[in-house]
Amino acid sequence: MRKTTITYAALAALYAASIVPAAAQDKAPIKIGTALDFTTVYTFVTAEYSQGQRDYAALINARGGILGHPIEISVVDTGNQPQRGIAAYERFKEEGAVLCDFLSTPVSRAVVPRALADGMNVITMFHGRSDAADGKVFPTIFPMTPAYWSQATSIIKYIDDQEKGDLKGKKIALVMIDSPFGREPLPVFQELAKRLGYEFQSFPYPSPGNEQSAAWTQVRRFKPDWTILWGAGGGQSVSVRDAIGNGIATDHLASVIWISETDTNIIGADQTKGLLRFEGVAYGKTLPAIEAIEEQVVAKGKGAGPADKVGGTYYNIGAASIALVAEGARIALNKEGEPLTPAKLKNGLESIKDFTGEGLLPPVTITADDHQGGGRGRIDAWDGSKWVPKSQWAAAYQDIVWDLIHKSAEEFKASGK
Amino acid sequence: MFYRLAGIRHTSYAADRALWPAPVDRVQIAALLLFALAAPFLLPNLYLTSYLLPWIIWSTAALGLNLLMGWAGQIHLGYAAVMAIGAYGAIHLVRAGVPFEIAIILGGLLSAAIGLVFGFAALRVKGLYLAISTLAMQYLVDWIISHVPAISGGSQATLQAPAFRVFGIPIADDRARYYVALAICLMVTAFLLNVGRTSFGRALAAVREKDFAAAVIGVNPYRYKLLAFWCSSLLGGVAGAVLAFCYYRAVTPEQFDLDVSIQAVAMVIVGGMASVIGSYLGAALVLLAPIVLNNLVGALAHALGLPLSADVLSHIPLILYGGLIIGFLLIEPLGLAKVYDNLRNYFLVWPFRHARR
Amino acid sequence: MSYLAELAANGALVGLMYALTALGIVLVFKTSGVANLAQGALAMVGGYVMWWFAAALGAPLWLAIPLSLVVMFGVGRGIERVALRRMVGQPVIMIIMLTLGVEILLRGAAPALWGAVVKRLDIGIAQQPIVLGDILINRAYFWGGLVALLLIGLSLLFFTSRQGVVLRAVADDQAASWAVGIRVERAIGLSWGLAGVAAACAGILWGSVQGVDWTLSLLLIKALAVAILGGLDSIGGVLVAGIAVGVLENVIPGYVDPLVGGGTRDLVAATVILLTILVRPFGLFGREDIERV
Repeated sequence: MRKTTITYAALAALYAASIVPAAAQDKAPIKIGTALDFTTVYTFVTAEYSQGQRDYAALINARGGILGHPIEISVVDTGNQPQRGIAAYERFKEEGAVLCDFLSTPVSRAVVPRALADGMNVITMFHGRSDAADGKVFPTIFPMTPAYWSQATSIIKYIDDQEKGDLKGKKIALVMIDSPFGREPLPVFQELAKRLGYEFQSFPYPSPGNEQSAAWTQVRRFKPDWTILWGAGGGQSVSVRDAIGNGIATDHLASVIWISETDTNIIGADQTKGLLRFEGVAYGKTLPAIEAIEEQVVAKGKGAGPADKVGGTYYNIGAASIALVAEGARIALNKEGEPLTPAKLKNGLESIKDFTGEGLLPPVTITADDHQGGGRGRIDAWDGSKWVPKSQWAAAYQDIVWDLIHKSAEEFKASGK
Repeated sequence: MFYRLAGIRHTSYAADRALWPAPVDRVQIAALLLFALAAPFLLPNLYLTSYLLPWIIWSTAALGLNLLMGWAGQIHLGYAAVMAIGAYGAIHLVRAGVPFEIAIILGGLLSAAIGLVFGFAALRVKGLYLAISTLAMQYLVDWIISHVPAISGGSQATLQAPAFRVFGIPIADDRARYYVALAICLMVTAFLLNVGRTSFGRALAAVREKDFAAAVIGVNPYRYKLLAFWCSSLLGGVAGAVLAFCYYRAVTPEQFDLDVSIQAVAMVIVGGMASVIGSYLGAALVLLAPIVLNNLVGALAHALGLPLSADVLSHIPLILYGGLIIGFLLIEPLGLAKVYDNLRNYFLVWPFRHARR
Repeated sequence: MSYLAELAANGALVGLMYALTALGIVLVFKTSGVANLAQGALAMVGGYVMWWFAAALGAPLWLAIPLSLVVMFGVGRGIERVALRRMVGQPVIMIIMLTLGVEILLRGAAPALWGAVVKRLDIGIAQQPIVLGDILINRAYFWGGLVALLLIGLSLLFFTSRQGVVLRAVADDQAASWAVGIRVERAIGLSWGLAGVAAACAGILWGSVQGVDWTLSLLLIKALAVAILGGLDSIGGVLVAGIAVGVLENVIPGYVDPLVGGGTRDLVAATVILLTILVRPFGLFGREDIERV
């Protein structure tokens, strides 16, 4: 009984110590709370994404912070469970965070009503509610990146360009995971089929996507000219492998953003040469931002993860997310002075104009109405060892995208905030 | 010394049959109740909304499942599906204009009706096979919810909980939501505290121990098993609706998947079957352990300067959660309720060590 | 017609691969009466162990595969020794919860030890499908099906050997086995070890198809469907039920999906379980001694 009492007391003391706030610093740190899914659905992206975020924050801090304020990122696991995300969100709020990131569609959807009511900023890079691009209905939610609908239009635009502007009679197949994420681009593809005249059919495969042969059997019989993949995680490598096995040429196979060098290496770097995908953040190490990180963070041993992931697809997305937030904070502090509050950061983010993050992004402009930032992306292809851009940064068919965004946002407004 | 049981005499049958005959127990319960009522004014908002509120709601759910698993002795690995039905039902009804009080009851009745279907499996098989068939039903309900847009709300698959009123009072802030959840929890607790003393509870106990022997003495096991499923699903539906309205304020299909079912069963087993306080303690442990462990492990790693990668750090709560379940089952199969009971017995005779009770 | 044949052929092979995991469940249930709900997680650990030997430590395939099988044999026996032995005689819900706890523990420990990002497992199977006229058969599934057939055949043979007879005796009546001097604990440990080996094979094969990560543990529900349909204590039943479940799972969505809008595949396993339990609880070939109401 004594031993256990002492153990309990020790544990309690340790726990109490863990919630004591850090010692005060010269300038108040800018706190960003990231509650990500390290253990369930998003394992394919989270570790590298978080590494990119922390490394970019370390770079900013090494350069003296944002007008002297260091950036502090707290990292918590939610296991893709909304209740843990909500608990983490409330804790971030108490600790004085000015921005939160959840990198999980279910968790961010569960937190959105609270964030809107509390005025807390939430970023949702390349995922989450596509209609959050409507800044009037979602004032504090910032996708800052092309919504899934914009990704779909960009892919169709690329295909259209490859077919020299004539898609009439061509067949396009969409192989997607059977979930709300997978079904999201359907309205876009169907609308564009009406406009451009191609024949469109969708082939869902069951979640989590480790067994897709039934869908690909049907695809083979459909004999598509172009095939689009819409999945994420382990299912992507199965998709590409089944596609190749069913005779689809890799250079007529395009994927949504969630495919990376990890997947192509799993299947075989040479077999997947020519595979296309949508890109929203530039890939590679030869960007000024990544080179700065290598020099000032990784070389000094302060990197937050393995050095071979620096410059990878998801690492750069993480870095870009903090780049955008830092830019917004910088503008906010310049315009409205200290201390940085969520409301000031919101105004700062909405004043971002033509920001490229030292080569990471296409020029991003965010306004109070448009939180998508322009919807620009490009298509790149796998050449056996890296992703090579095949088109210019451009946004496509934004009229369709914004129609859908406004319609969906109106539904959200009407259905009870 | 603290639990003076000596000198307590009853002068009426009512006093003898009281739930808590010892005054010290009554004082304890009164103090807890007072604290629960005053909590919004005593605790900071973080603890109220992130720890106390989900604990109360999940205790309600655990109590409902305990009725089925602890008192009636059936196994149910699909409880989250039942909660989901109640949540979605209540949300759709309130959106259609039905008052909240009625919508919650109707949502509960809906999940009771569908939970009854789960129960028919219990009429055919027992034990392991019952567990597996409820598992299969969990998958079925999950699939139906996510694939029927009329239920799950379209391709975005999130339904916002609309603003609601209880008896005319608008429930718009955290305190009001807490009180609604507390009220329902207290009602369910009162029911469960008394169920063992009713003929229904005694029939359930008979069916739990040996159902063919119960049949011999005149207790119809079919009827009582179905009743147990119906009752427990009603409570589960109500708990799910409260979860959706007061805590999440939105429903997505992921909130009620298999992991949540297993979590509910873990709460009941770790807490102690057929024990009201066990449900509370089990819910607290299973719900709060991941969060506390997360903080603890992070602080430890920080303090000791261990270069643990984010990968390892984020998986440690899962390892500890699994280890917790295994540890409890191996060391104390009767659960936290037994631990509490041991503690209470210790203080009953303190400062003496051994005494006849 | 060839559409149906292709779906059926691939489905049968996938079903045989599910049967590998189900084999582990049946082996354990046959001997000790415990439904091992951690079998999916064991398959995942098998995949990780194989990846560790083959990719991280760089062992050649002819060494890595036997090593992983040996390690997983030990893991299976270890789980039985540490966790299950103390639960003998406890109510079945406790044992189910214990195996679920083991599953959660393994699901956390494996990615923590080896990293959560999905990993490539290459066991030398080429990408090109096998072509039979108009039908394309996935080569990985083909080899997986062969391995499953081999293992099931070996298990059936094993149960006719001396040690197999010992296991059958223990499955029949533990007390009587003690009475004639059979070491019951060792027999149960052996069956868990064999289940670990079956899990390792399943993990290696599935890992080569979809990459090794925690989602390998989701094989559990399919394996349960196969085990229940075949009969929880019948090894031959695993073979028949595996093919049945695999074919149904591939063929039904192929025809029903376009009508319903997708996703019926997930339903098949759950519906198979439900229908089996409601109509014929002991499965196609199981022993008829389940307590019914």
